[in-house]
Amino acid sequence: MRKLVVLSSFLCTFFISAQNKQVLYDFAELPQTLLLNPAVDFQGKFHFGVPGLSQISFHGGFSGFSAYDLLADNNVGINDKIRDIYQSFGKSEFLSFNQRLELLNIGFRRRNNDYVSFGYYQELDVLVKFPKDMIDLYYEGNTVLNRRYSVDKLAAQAELLGVFHIGVSRKVGEFTRMGGRVKVYSSVASASTKRNSGAFYTENGSDNIYRQHLSNIDLLLETSGIKLPSDVELDQPYVQRQFLFGGNLGLGLDFGFTYQPKEQWEITGSIQDLGFIYYTKNVESYRIKGSYQLDGFQLDFDPNTPDTYWSDLKDDFEERIVMDTIHANYMNFRPAKLNGSLTYSFGRKRLDDCTFVNGVTPYTHKVGAHLFSRLNVVHSYIAATLFYERRFGKIFSTKLTYTADPFSYANVGFGISARAGAFNIYAITDNLLGLRNVYAMQSTNIQFGMNFIFGAY
Amino acid sequence: MILNPKKISYFVLFLLCFSCTKPIDMDQLDDASLDSSYLFTLIHLDLNAPNFLDDFNQEIAVSSDMVSIPKLDDLHPYLKRAEFTVKTENSFNRNFTLNILFYDKDQQLIYTLKPVIIVPSNSSELMHVLEIPENDINVIYNTRYFGMDMSLWNSTTGDLIEVTDDFEFAVKSSIKLFFNFKKA
Repeated sequence: MRKLVVLSSFLCTFFISAQNKQVLYDFAELPQTLLLNPAVDFQGKFHFGVPGLSQISFHGGFSGFSAYDLLADNNVGINDKIRDIYQSFGKSEFLSFNQRLELLNIGFRRRNNDYVSFGYYQELDVLVKFPKDMIDLYYEGNTVLNRRYSVDKLAAQAELLGVFHIGVSRKVGEFTRMGGRVKVYSSVASASTKRNSGAFYTENGSDNIYRQHLSNIDLLLETSGIKLPSDVELDQPYVQRQFLFGGNLGLGLDFGFTYQPKEQWEITGSIQDLGFIYYTKNVESYRIKGSYQLDGFQLDFDPNTPDTYWSDLKDDFEERIVMDTIHANYMNFRPAKLNGSLTYSFGRKRLDDCTFVNGVTPYTHKVGAHLFSRLNVVHSYIAATLFYERRFGKIFSTKLTYTADPFSYANVGFGISARAGAFNIYAITDNLLGLRNVYAMQSTNIQFGMNFIFGAY
Repeated sequence: MILNPKKISYFVLFLLCFSCTKPIDMDQLDDASLDSSYLFTLIHLDLNAPNFLDDFNQEIAVSSDMVSIPKLDDLHPYLKRAEFTVKTENSFNRNFTLNILFYDKDQQLIYTLKPVIIVPSNSSELMHVLEIPENDINVIYNTRYFGMDMSLWNSTTGDLIEVTDDFEFAVKSSIKLFFNFKKA
């Protein structure tokens, strides 16, 4: 069992990560950039993504350790490695996973030059944060008196949902564009636990050698779509209905802007998933609340009294630490994502007097900085990126990024986008330095997609 | 031009072909083990003279009590040994013998913790540490009742315990369980 836990932990290293799309953000005027910043100045007149293939993305990361940290074949004993990993843990560690499959992505330019885009994607989002105290309790035991093992930092959120969205990018001034996107979430299944509190500790007692405490325990796990009524069959039509507005519904908004203070400079910013899901269907939540202190069993040596010590203790415990099953509706906010960037473009192709130019010719080079932040009650974090984007005529665009995030201070990413006529294909990954030893990677990020873009440059 | 599509293609090809792994050894997980210990408060008692007298105020030579406990099978095979700490105080002018006993589901005695604790008369707090060693630890898994026997020694002076005696016999205890988590 323990081995299974360890194995699961390091497998998560490969499959789990953060949600920063630093390479895709503002890259090569891909339609998918509109989902990161609805104000992006998309240059096409019309686009549609190849259904089911316009964006397939996986992100995964675990802040604790990598598989190589644990399993390196380097003559260091496994138990020494486990100890080193344990000692390197911060006050809390987290793992996250995000998977997205875009099924529909269509956009068109209106006569007033607004660019309208809409689509639908499926998303699985998992974020788990666990406190060092829990690891301490497992690793060291509880023999240190008055040491409080707290569950305050224990939090997790998992959500499987479908998202329909429609947005518009509009030029609102000579140098400014604004964009907005409305999202309707349909949650298929959800589980979350947040704002947990309480502690376990042992102190010197008076009636007995030790007194043990469960102090102000308040744990809440909210679920929906996981425990289903007996008359519901978990089959494909049911799941499809849940994805297509049959699940628990929510509403979200994205906002963004781009501003060009000078022709070659651009400032962009966006906030995504400013919204919530209200859970009303197949809701079942569990709450454990209370305080308990234990001095042990007080034996009375009364031969006339039957042995009820254990049942008395159990009854007393259940009276003071109450576990409730709750069927009340609840609401969860979606994890909001903030993006901001500053870019400088240069190297526009010089045209001679005989060249007829219809429209804008983009700059060849672009450098900049990008900040990303994910805000959530479970865990918030920030990532900073420097990037260089290079355009090769109408066919190729590439982007190289260097990111510092909670998983690595040296995350090098790379994206490539190619066009053949209206057909566009792109591929993005990060943590390239990790390719020197994939076992040592603590996060990874892969995106791939195909679109048809008409009327661009 | 510093970069061109051909160079990029080479770069991507390089990444695909030359991404590599340093050697890892999955088998070493078989040797992974973790030692940790957990402390639990156990039983306590505080007895006075009437507790050692029957309805006719005759001394009770042996007093017993036991606590039913849940199955501890889940601890197998990780529990390696158990260490009991017992603190005693005795203001009676009589010695006591204290036995810590383990019974199976039929309340049959299956194990007695050694050594037997002898609590001298008029003794202040004494601490006794007793252990179920690794060789005997399986007894825990069969234990469904945990008990104590107290034997009151005969008086050397002929004095008998009176119901009005202001004597006290107190026991406090805890258990420390030592685990080794590793592949079973």
